[in-house]
Amino acid sequence: MTYDASAREERGAVAESASDRTFWGRLSSWAPYQWLATFATASPRRQFLILAVFPILWVLTQHLGPMLQMLRVSLTDAYPVAPGVEQHFTFDNYLSFFGDSIFWMPFFRTLIFAGVFTFCTLIITYPVAYFLARHVSPKNRMLLLLLLLIPFWVGEIVRTYAIMILLGNTGAVNMVLRFFGLIDRPIPFMYTSFSMGVGIVYLTALYMLLPLYSALEKLPKSMNEAAADLGAGAWTRFRRITLPMTLEGISSGCTLVFLISTGFYATPVLLGGPSTTVFAETIAGFFHVAGDQWPTGAAFAVIMFLAALLITAAFQRLMNALRKGDTK
Amino acid sequence: MTRHNRILLSCVYWAFVAYVFVPLILMVMMGFKDSKFIGFPIKSWTLDWYTGVFADTETLAAFGYSVAIAVLSTVISVIVGTWIAVLLEGRKFWGRAVIFGMTVLPALIPGIISAIAFRIYARYLGIEPGMGAIVWSHAVHNVPFVVLVVMARLSTLPKSQIEAARDLGADPLIAFLRITFPYLVPAIMGASIFCLLLSFDDFVRSFFLGGYEPTLPVLIFAKLKSGMSPEINAIATVALVLTAVIGVWAERFTRRMNKDS
Repeated sequence: MTYDASAREERGAVAESASDRTFWGRLSSWAPYQWLATFATASPRRQFLILAVFPILWVLTQHLGPMLQMLRVSLTDAYPVAPGVEQHFTFDNYLSFFGDSIFWMPFFRTLIFAGVFTFCTLIITYPVAYFLARHVSPKNRMLLLLLLLIPFWVGEIVRTYAIMILLGNTGAVNMVLRFFGLIDRPIPFMYTSFSMGVGIVYLTALYMLLPLYSALEKLPKSMNEAAADLGAGAWTRFRRITLPMTLEGISSGCTLVFLISTGFYATPVLLGGPSTTVFAETIAGFFHVAGDQWPTGAAFAVIMFLAALLITAAFQRLMNALRKGDTK
Repeated sequence: MTRHNRILLSCVYWAFVAYVFVPLILMVMMGFKDSKFIGFPIKSWTLDWYTGVFADTETLAAFGYSVAIAVLSTVISVIVGTWIAVLLEGRKFWGRAVIFGMTVLPALIPGIISAIAFRIYARYLGIEPGMGAIVWSHAVHNVPFVVLVVMARLSTLPKSQIEAARDLGADPLIAFLRITFPYLVPAIMGASIFCLLLSFDDFVRSFFLGGYEPTLPVLIFAKLKSGMSPEINAIATVALVLTAVIGVWAERFTRRMNKDS
């Protein structure tokens, strides 16, 4: 499929008069364009290079560059470098993480919270995805799915605020409970790990729902019917067929939600309290004060990223092992 | 048994719909409350908060600022993303998997880490915090979504059409502009709207890369930190209606375009 410049010239004389009238015809017979096209398509190799150079440069400098620069800054003792000061290579930023519980407490809290919230999201959205994929006619399916997508077009901050109004001391939940006489003073939902959980599940549910839905939709109905004919009960069918067959969807949904939940900053700030400080707030703290704390902040961000990657990689290996074990 | 299951599951579904919609509906309602104090019950109603929003130059400026950032970053993301997709789809070359991995990287980095990395890199490149920095970070962050959408569409393009065009004397660029590009338009439109909304709603990157001028989410965040007020509800509702309407319209639009072609 390479373009042959010489064939074009032979045909040129015949095609000229007909193609002259259109914009494309005029463009392709315009001398500078012809020169450019001949130059660019002289060989398949050159053609590929012209196509590939910009994307590869972009990906290296814009996608990988920021992460590498963060890594580099995390290994220095001063950034930005003040005039007259020498920059040294050091591991101190990483060591300081282990030195103080004010640093590693939020770190482990973030990972535990993210794990728990991911699990909650899975438990909440699995039946919803199951219902959509298995019990709704294909015609209504799209409609019911789209209904769920609408709120997810709304931004993070707006949705966090909506949860604040729902759970506040004078919020809707407390009002309803009071109205029915179940409580006489408001339950303090807000600024706890509970309110944070409600908010984060609210923000991430879609990222779990869609992979689960597409996994469940692919599952052939006949398998369940065959199992039922052979006398398997509903629970057995779910445990032995549906669950193993959707492990891939579960695995990608959980990975996505876990990574997203570790990265939330505004939601924990607005919905959490002093006892629920997450690592994102710790990291952000280094960037709000004077610039000389940047290396520490960068080191902490690297630690957080590596931890999140390791956990999701381990999780995916586990899921793969489970999947292989089941097919045996 | 199956019947019971079905009823139970449909209850779960509608409970989930309630969980997803009720907070937003309550938030919209609170914007009409005739009192400075956020909370239920709402005894009297007013439109004052909304008229306030449209008279407040700070909010309107933030709104315009957010829209401008969204449009500029989307243009960059779409051009770069389409280019990368054309390179990666259906082509085998050494290092392709690595390039693909790096392409989707920005979409997988947790929000705060991505914001910090961009903050550090912007300083390294000498970009001052402000509009340029925000546009750049949003553009880079949104590229993977464009690439994935365009690649999916590109994989369904019948190769015979390109071959026919080439047989008729079109060079690769003209074949791209006249065959491939028109075929990609629905995907590009869908991806653009997705990018616009992602950028418009983004908080964490705008917060860390912004200068003194706030984008709309940053403004709402700043106001929230100094206390809840129905004024915030009114601002948030305007943003909500706008994003939801654009989102739903885009969904319908792209589905219709996909059906037509």
